[in-house]
Amino acid sequence: MRNVDMKMHIRGRSVFVDDIPAQEGLLHAVLFLSPIAKGTIEKLDISKANKAEGVAGVFVGKDIPGPNQIGHMIPDQPLFAEKEIQYAGQPIAMVVAESKHLAKKALKLIELQVKEEEGVFEPREAFKSGMIHAAPRVITAGDLDSAWSKCEYIVEGKAHNGPQEHFYFETQRALAVPGEDDTMKVYASVQSPGAFQHHIAEILNIPMHKVELEIRRLGGAFGGKESTAIWAVAPALAAKLLNRPVKMVLGRNEDIATSGKRHPYEFDYKMGLDKDGKILAYQVDLYQQAGAFADISLAVLGRSFLHVSSSYFIPNLKAMAVSCKTNLPSNNAFRGFGVPQGVFVIETAIEHASEVMGVDPSVIKRKNLLQDGDFLPYGMQLEKTNAIRCWEELDRRSGGIARRIKTIEAYNKANTETKKGISVVPVCFGISFAQTALNQGSALANIYADGSVSVSTGAVEMGQGVNMKIALIAAKALSIGKDKVRVETTNTSRIPNASPTSASTGADLNGMAAKMACDTLYKRLQVFAAKKFNHNNPDEISIRDEIVYLKSAKTDYKWEQLIHEAYWDRTDLGCRAFYATPGVYIDRKTERGRPFAYYSYGTSITEVTLDCIRGTYDIDSVDVVHDVGVSLSHNIDKGQIEGAIIQAIGWSTMEQIKYNSKGKMLTAVNSYKIPDIKFCPKEFNVYILENSLNPYAVSNSKAVGEPPFIHGLGAYFALVRALRSFRKDKPLPASLPITPEKAFMYLYE
Amino acid sequence: MLKFIVNDKILETNAHPGTILIDYLRDELKLYGTKEGCKEGECGACTVLAGTLDDKGNISYKSVASCILPIGDVNGSHIVSIEGVNQEELNTIQKAIFDYSASQCGFCTPGIVLSLTYFALSSSEFSYKDAEDALDGNLCRCTGYVAIRNAAKALSDLLKTKSRDMNKRIDVLLEAGVLPSYFAQIPQKLKKLNASSASSPSAKARIIAGGTDLFVQIPDQLVESDLKFISERKDLNYIRVDGNCIRIGAATSLEDFRNSCAVNKYFPFMKDDVLLHSSMILRNKATLAGNIVNASPIGDITIMLLALNASIVIDGNGKTREIALDKFYKDYKKFDLSEGEIIKEILVPFMNEGVLYNFEKVSNRKILDIAAVNSSILIETNGMDIAALRISAGGVASIPLMIGGLDNFRGKEISYETVNKLAEYVVSQVAPIDDVRGSANYKKLLIRQLIFAHFNKLFGVKVCAGEGC
Repeated sequence: MRNVDMKMHIRGRSVFVDDIPAQEGLLHAVLFLSPIAKGTIEKLDISKANKAEGVAGVFVGKDIPGPNQIGHMIPDQPLFAEKEIQYAGQPIAMVVAESKHLAKKALKLIELQVKEEEGVFEPREAFKSGMIHAAPRVITAGDLDSAWSKCEYIVEGKAHNGPQEHFYFETQRALAVPGEDDTMKVYASVQSPGAFQHHIAEILNIPMHKVELEIRRLGGAFGGKESTAIWAVAPALAAKLLNRPVKMVLGRNEDIATSGKRHPYEFDYKMGLDKDGKILAYQVDLYQQAGAFADISLAVLGRSFLHVSSSYFIPNLKAMAVSCKTNLPSNNAFRGFGVPQGVFVIETAIEHASEVMGVDPSVIKRKNLLQDGDFLPYGMQLEKTNAIRCWEELDRRSGGIARRIKTIEAYNKANTETKKGISVVPVCFGISFAQTALNQGSALANIYADGSVSVSTGAVEMGQGVNMKIALIAAKALSIGKDKVRVETTNTSRIPNASPTSASTGADLNGMAAKMACDTLYKRLQVFAAKKFNHNNPDEISIRDEIVYLKSAKTDYKWEQLIHEAYWDRTDLGCRAFYATPGVYIDRKTERGRPFAYYSYGTSITEVTLDCIRGTYDIDSVDVVHDVGVSLSHNIDKGQIEGAIIQAIGWSTMEQIKYNSKGKMLTAVNSYKIPDIKFCPKEFNVYILENSLNPYAVSNSKAVGEPPFIHGLGAYFALVRALRSFRKDKPLPASLPITPEKAFMYLYE
Repeated sequence: MLKFIVNDKILETNAHPGTILIDYLRDELKLYGTKEGCKEGECGACTVLAGTLDDKGNISYKSVASCILPIGDVNGSHIVSIEGVNQEELNTIQKAIFDYSASQCGFCTPGIVLSLTYFALSSSEFSYKDAEDALDGNLCRCTGYVAIRNAAKALSDLLKTKSRDMNKRIDVLLEAGVLPSYFAQIPQKLKKLNASSASSPSAKARIIAGGTDLFVQIPDQLVESDLKFISERKDLNYIRVDGNCIRIGAATSLEDFRNSCAVNKYFPFMKDDVLLHSSMILRNKATLAGNIVNASPIGDITIMLLALNASIVIDGNGKTREIALDKFYKDYKKFDLSEGEIIKEILVPFMNEGVLYNFEKVSNRKILDIAAVNSSILIETNGMDIAALRISAGGVASIPLMIGGLDNFRGKEISYETVNKLAEYVVSQVAPIDDVRGSANYKKLLIRQLIFAHFNKLFGVKVCAGEGC
């Protein structure tokens, strides 16, 4: 089964926000952005811009009917800066004109005087001066202090990871159309229907029921359209103030320069192991580069924090995590949501330990893998653990982990101009929103009189295939062909308060709600059919492949006829259902609980070749075994696994962002490089773990959007191995990504 | 008045010739299948095909980035957007993409369909390698390319079962369900189109060669400027062997250069080396002459031509003159070309027997990226001694740099010691700066290594540096 939209995509017929034909009177909005990263506005003169050709209006903070506030988790972020400037690229005003071209021309007529101050751009520096978004979180497990003395080996060091631009193909955009009675309909490319509807209503100072947010599909999102509401709210504001339809579509470079990224972190780690390589103690501090406003950073931090032990059992542990406020655009969600950073630092510590011990890192990793009965740092005891199963399956499938490592060692002994590296990375990724309240989903299933079915949920289709998964779930629940099911747009008038489609939970939450709604409709049809057959037990009625069965005997009563008659008999053929993941909670005082319903597992092996003359490299192969429970769709799940891994390989290798010393973005689309078809590893083998049942999600499936991202760290660590086999006189590399420049400088500086 | 065929319709417009094609398709024609991903030719989402007739009346199509292509440049052409390859059911290429689930969010997909259509139209052997080359400018952020690769492989395998006769290519693809039937009539319709020039007669008009950089740098300005299109100068679109050199007309695209029989005969390395320049959808428009006058200190083609001792013929103001390329550049983006002059052709002398050449480029991403440093070498040997030597280096000075003073290395034996000295000498001649392509220090160390890389590749000289040796 494939993405439901695929045929339309391939023919260019899928309608994205900017493909909606222009309404009469459509205006175009562009933002006027701060040229400096920190300072105060001394004078802002919009009068010339206001009078420019084609300009319908120029708006600033005081024009906002509601509070000038779009902070996602805490109210700290104005839509338009009015006095204080917190990052370069922060919106200060908005020009609305008959065309984008004219709006951009008028931007240049806005006069701004600022008093520039020195900004803070490094998280450790921000932390030292008390610039944090919330109090640090601390978690402890076991008795760390007394554990160190039992360790044979202790390693400590610092590590760092860089940012990552989402590079969703469809940039941030929305179209707002004002309606009667002060209503506003917004077509937006966003992942959070409920939250964005809320932000729009607040800014416009109207109740939420007057805001209808309609989301058909997104041209990619990866978390980047989950929390920062600027680009959906601003056109709605203009539409409200001018009472005309208004569209805002960011240009690629504006999107890169002003939107959030995957969070960079600074880490301090210390790890202790016994003589056999069992990890006894681990201490880690995480300094998150959050940017100017809290946005969704505290939630991201929480996930990093809860995943610091990754796939390993660590009896004695202490982690501190803090979100640091700097003068850069607020960073936000990105596939993996903090977990890749938490995993990166422990993998670095293991890498370090392996060198001190003189063994391959995989030996330590295998020895410490999680198994049933182990406790995670927050006190949750594991069951149905598939960490070791995935590892062993990979060992079988990939030609033997130990054997492959030996082959590489032999190659490196024989070659000086190229070196190879290999790395095994295990994955254990908790599924559920760590913020317990968000673990809710609802669905509305309608059967129409002709037998066709529509399902609405809070899930947003962004290419990940959630709509096909929901269609399959609904079709299976009703036992009808999936072509009879249409998954509707995500619309706040049909589905209230929908959680963001993120945390890989889109299919889990909304699929379960869809199943519940369809199960109820099925029961109603059983009751109706029993009545029709004068049969007293509706449970003995079933529908199989669109045919009604009575006590397992096939009747000639078909789906269309059943529905037609059920309608005339006044059966309720519409049903709404609600699902809340049971049993998840976390006590923030003690940092103990069961924040995740279950875990997704996997193991991968990545091989690279480093050109030691030029510092360039190829990612030669990736073999991966990944656990998706009972797959809802092999095609979709494989696509998610491959896509996530390449995206993470990009983060690990070539994707880099540069700012000048004043916090201004230097990187643009011509210098932000994401993997291309020729960079894709020549060998790429994905195996889905068989016989994995997951009672905690719909149809025994497991979430798949984010967990495979972790495998891409294998490219980084394989490169570390290759670099180390060329030279060992330097400290271990501990800064992701390893760009060709960084690789080269490690080899030759 | 511009005239062209868009998909199956003949259109005329009074729009400014500098109007960007994607804006015209989407805003004027309401053809929303073509997607804008970056407006700089960096992502490929906007890929369309442009077909033109040659002197013999044969049509040839190129994949191009419609986001940096002015409509004046496709005047008289056949433009094919995704809507123009759609048929009743999925066409053969679309079906391959569907069968292998090679589309997720769908935003890049129309561009990928068009690039694969270009592959089907242009590849002589239908090899997978050609398909991959055709896709080298089409990024995708969702699939990770594995599925796209599988679809392209299946397509390549399927097309290999068909006739590879280039003269019948359109018929073969009509038959194979790749192209819709209206393609059969396009050459006839193009012949009758009779489009007049899209160029402004103004002497001050801005000259557009491929436009692949200008329309990234100053699109808003060009949309309102007088433009003159080099692509209209059919007389400058040639590659000719002349005595012991090759002459390349100023309107010649990088892809035509790369695929030219003459180039492949006398400069066989160009087939692969030029692939390191930008991407298919840009190489199909970008010209060698444009690369030269762009004067980027890091221009790949310029660096290649400098080492090869190319010269350029300049036309204008009533006279024609020839100048060695290594005398052309004066300072950053300043060169010896007056107002009213244009580059007419480029002369590349053949390499004497036994002369060797090598090109090196290191960039953050190997494909479709600007180099941190690039370099070419042309070397003649006498036994194991250096007899003559030319080295160019990009990204290390304000101009594409020809390293001077190499005569001292004549007669030196090719050895680690000599290469080491040479590398040190080259480093002493360069002055790179810190920028987004890398730090000055990196570039300095890198040019040293690339000198080693030249000799490693050509003569197997061991590169012994660092602890690992």
